[in-house]
Amino acid sequence: MSAVWRASRAAVRRRRLQTVVIGLVVLASTTTIMLASGLLDAATAPFDRAFAKQNGAHAVVEFDSAKASKAQVEQTARRPGVEAAAGPFDQVVIDFLRTTDIPEAEGPLTVVGRVDPSGPVDRLRLLHGRWATAPGEVVINLRSAAGPPRPGTLGSQLRAPGVPPLTVVGLASSMSQSADAWVAPAQMAALRPSAVQMLYRFTDPSTEEGIRAGLEAVTGGLPAGSLTVAQSHLALRKAFSSMADAYLPLMALFGVLGLLVAVLIVANVVSGAVVSGYRHIGVLKAVGFTPNQVVAVYLTMVSVPAAAGCVLGTLFGNLLAEPVLRAAFQGIESGSAEIGISPWVSITCLLGMPLLVLLAALVPALRAHRLSAAQAISAGSAPCPGRGLRVQRALGGTRLPRAVSLGLGQPFARPGRTAMTMAAIVLGVTTVTLTTGLTSTMLAFGAANQGAPTEVGVRAGQPAFGQRAPALNDRQIEALLRSLPGARQVTPKVFVDVRLAGFTQRSAVNFQRGDTSAVASQIVQGRWPAGPGEIAAPPSFLRQRGLAVGDQITLQLNGRQTRATIVGQLMNGDARFLWSTWPTLTALDPGTAADHYEVQLADGSDAHSYANSVKAADPGLYPAVSSPGDLATTTVVGFASVFTTLLIIVAALGVFNTVLLNARERRRDLGMLKSIGMTPRQVTIMMVTSMAAPGAAGGLVGIPAGMLTHRVIVDTVGVVVFPEGMKDVWHAPQLAALALAGVTIAVLGALVPARSAARMTIAPLLHNE
Amino acid sequence: MRRSSTVMPVTSENSAGHVVVRLKGVRKQYAETAALDGVSLSISAGEAVAVMGPSGCGKSTLLNMIAGLDRPTEGTVEIDGQDLGSLNETGLALFRRRHIGMIFQFFNLIDDLPALDNVALSAQLIGIPARQARRRALELLDELGIAGRKDAYPAALSGGERQRVAVARALMNRPALLLADEPTGALDSRSGDQVMDLLIDLNQIGQTLLIVTHDQHLATRCASHLIELADGRVARESALERVE
Repeated sequence: MSAVWRASRAAVRRRRLQTVVIGLVVLASTTTIMLASGLLDAATAPFDRAFAKQNGAHAVVEFDSAKASKAQVEQTARRPGVEAAAGPFDQVVIDFLRTTDIPEAEGPLTVVGRVDPSGPVDRLRLLHGRWATAPGEVVINLRSAAGPPRPGTLGSQLRAPGVPPLTVVGLASSMSQSADAWVAPAQMAALRPSAVQMLYRFTDPSTEEGIRAGLEAVTGGLPAGSLTVAQSHLALRKAFSSMADAYLPLMALFGVLGLLVAVLIVANVVSGAVVSGYRHIGVLKAVGFTPNQVVAVYLTMVSVPAAAGCVLGTLFGNLLAEPVLRAAFQGIESGSAEIGISPWVSITCLLGMPLLVLLAALVPALRAHRLSAAQAISAGSAPCPGRGLRVQRALGGTRLPRAVSLGLGQPFARPGRTAMTMAAIVLGVTTVTLTTGLTSTMLAFGAANQGAPTEVGVRAGQPAFGQRAPALNDRQIEALLRSLPGARQVTPKVFVDVRLAGFTQRSAVNFQRGDTSAVASQIVQGRWPAGPGEIAAPPSFLRQRGLAVGDQITLQLNGRQTRATIVGQLMNGDARFLWSTWPTLTALDPGTAADHYEVQLADGSDAHSYANSVKAADPGLYPAVSSPGDLATTTVVGFASVFTTLLIIVAALGVFNTVLLNARERRRDLGMLKSIGMTPRQVTIMMVTSMAAPGAAGGLVGIPAGMLTHRVIVDTVGVVVFPEGMKDVWHAPQLAALALAGVTIAVLGALVPARSAARMTIAPLLHNE
Repeated sequence: MRRSSTVMPVTSENSAGHVVVRLKGVRKQYAETAALDGVSLSISAGEAVAVMGPSGCGKSTLLNMIAGLDRPTEGTVEIDGQDLGSLNETGLALFRRRHIGMIFQFFNLIDDLPALDNVALSAQLIGIPARQARRRALELLDELGIAGRKDAYPAALSGGERQRVAVARALMNRPALLLADEPTGALDSRSGDQVMDLLIDLNQIGQTLLIVTHDQHLATRCASHLIELADGRVARESALERVE
């Protein structure tokens, strides 16, 4: 065993507590960083991997077959800037009835005729069954391949008025989302195609400008207006990470905070170990250790717990990542992308964190390198005089109890260490402030999202799914629900899949009538739709399609279309869903009935009794009492709380470590003070006060920093637009409580080592140098 | 040194003959080793006692027991009539404030405080306001001849000056008993002589003194009574003729 390893092992044994502190700090920081970088990686990497594997289309383009011939469109594949192309494929939009339990196989579907799933662009992944090779067969595009197995879906039939029935023979996944369904080209004639689809890969696909230039090149020379829709892969990529983007600022922030705290505390621990170990360094050098070997001893001393903490932190990070990713990618059209964290994240953490710890330890360890043996031995453990002496002296003349004034003066004796401890406290208070704010914002958000506290949802039974059909018609059901005791508001609604002219992505519109919707209060810009042709949209819908309040869109359904104006922006929501009025639906399809009824109950009404009354009145109605809870709120609040707890523990450990080092360095002073009559209580007060002052100062800096960070985060979460009332969460009592947070962190961290110092056996210290 | 009220011990029963230190059958066991093994002794008010013996004989342990810095495994320690065994840690600290002053071989001054504040510290701990404590500390430094160095920090003081500051601090609350652990051990001969003179002067004005030392010269100059320890026991007690 080498002398360096022997000396390092002895140093680790001698500083058990500090070793544990380093291990815990690195563990907590690694877990936090793992989660943040894992989410960052998962937000794009799985999409990019799956997209590259399928040779995905940088642009899915739809040409009007009445304006451009197939031959003309085919020539566009050879235009400059086009790397590869597939097509032309015949395309048609068909509005299928609900005849299967495949959600992707109902409503208006874009059907494309393709010979096979391979090709130079958009190589589809066949998930189940086989490719459609004969007329009467269809393959459905699954928006998310990772769902549960659907063996019963193969063989089911899709029906739509005026077209032959199509049997599902396969389920496939297209990362380019080039179509909702594919049939054999020979089938297309019977489906009466109205458009031609081309799939392009461009030489410069990385920016919107590059895509636009590519599209200009392919459409050059074609008749005006022949290009009707073009979907960029960048929009799909953005949609893929839209939910994860909501979590990213938060996770990234906690990751950075964790990293800073780890660096501060490790530097603090090693610095303290060097300062309090001057004599030890002197002895090591006196017995023949070279300066480099001394540095190696100190670096090895921190590497052992850092490596252990890093391995455990990586493990915990991977374990915690699963529920985080599940929440972040819920409802995302992930195609065949396998959502998970790449191995490089774990490898980077495993290599990077110990390296960072070593770098943090290197600066103070180099001090040990520079010290001569004689200088080190003669310096002993006595602090250098002259630091903060004026402050000490001034405090000695005040009316404060001496234990308090001595404690207040101590931070000035070690300004470097005090600065590092204060930084740890500032980070802790910033985190507490940020989390408190986020929790308040998210709770308000959750309350607004849930609507009224008691709510019953009533569904009309669907015989296609083995349910009993209601005896009453739509209007009669509404009247019944209004007449039952306890009902305060009834909102009939139906989700209808529609096409938006100019966009390939499908949308579902929630058409409502009757009383104001429970989500009306979530409008943050504009107003709730009230008349025909009015729509409300979530921010993610507007962002992905480059729309804003006041813009007009065209809704298409069953060959009819109507213009609608976006009159309001919701606080949040899925990018696929819109809200509109019943008259808007009537313009598209006058025969559609509501299939879901939201009932708000009067105060004091029992939701379960109401649900029973509904069931008794018509067994074809399926009431459900809505359960409170909101996944996004729970997830953000949950994780913010976990990270806050971790960072507070880490900040408190930093303080704990500083007090411990101070107590060790000043043990002779403590012994002397006890010898002249300082009571254990006074020793505790002195040590705790020495940390409470930086704690209070840290609080004063940390609170505004936390408030600022909160504001930046709530303004950055793209999928939610918080109203001002939800951002303004700071009130006087809360701020006063937060002001105490720094002191509390400091006092909590200082209490144990302070009490231990108070109980310290001092006799041997006083009789020896 | 002037014989003034500033340095005079003021503890309640300070008359000659009053027993200030009484140890009965004190034993201190550390694992397998008995550092003290049935030590009994008494020191009367105004006495100056030297404790001598080879290294490891239990001198420092004896001093710790008398100062209340450590507790005996067996036996009782009474200082100025108070059984230290009946006091908890806080009680011991409060007792030390008023009744015991200590000086050490390596001075044990606080490096961050100037001489004046090092001395005033013991008074401030018992609640005396800073201004009053500093006034008394200055008087003491003046009595000990180092008032001119009141603003100097320990690092800037000579060994002799540091020990004088330590003595001033020990005398700040007019203790009944002054304990000195090798008070000249870290000093050159000239500074050592100055400190010895100081201790003699203090004893002559009535300060009870217990000096632990290796130094025969210090013992014979300052003490009137000698206790010799060997293997944790009192090997011999004898009266000393002071040598000028």
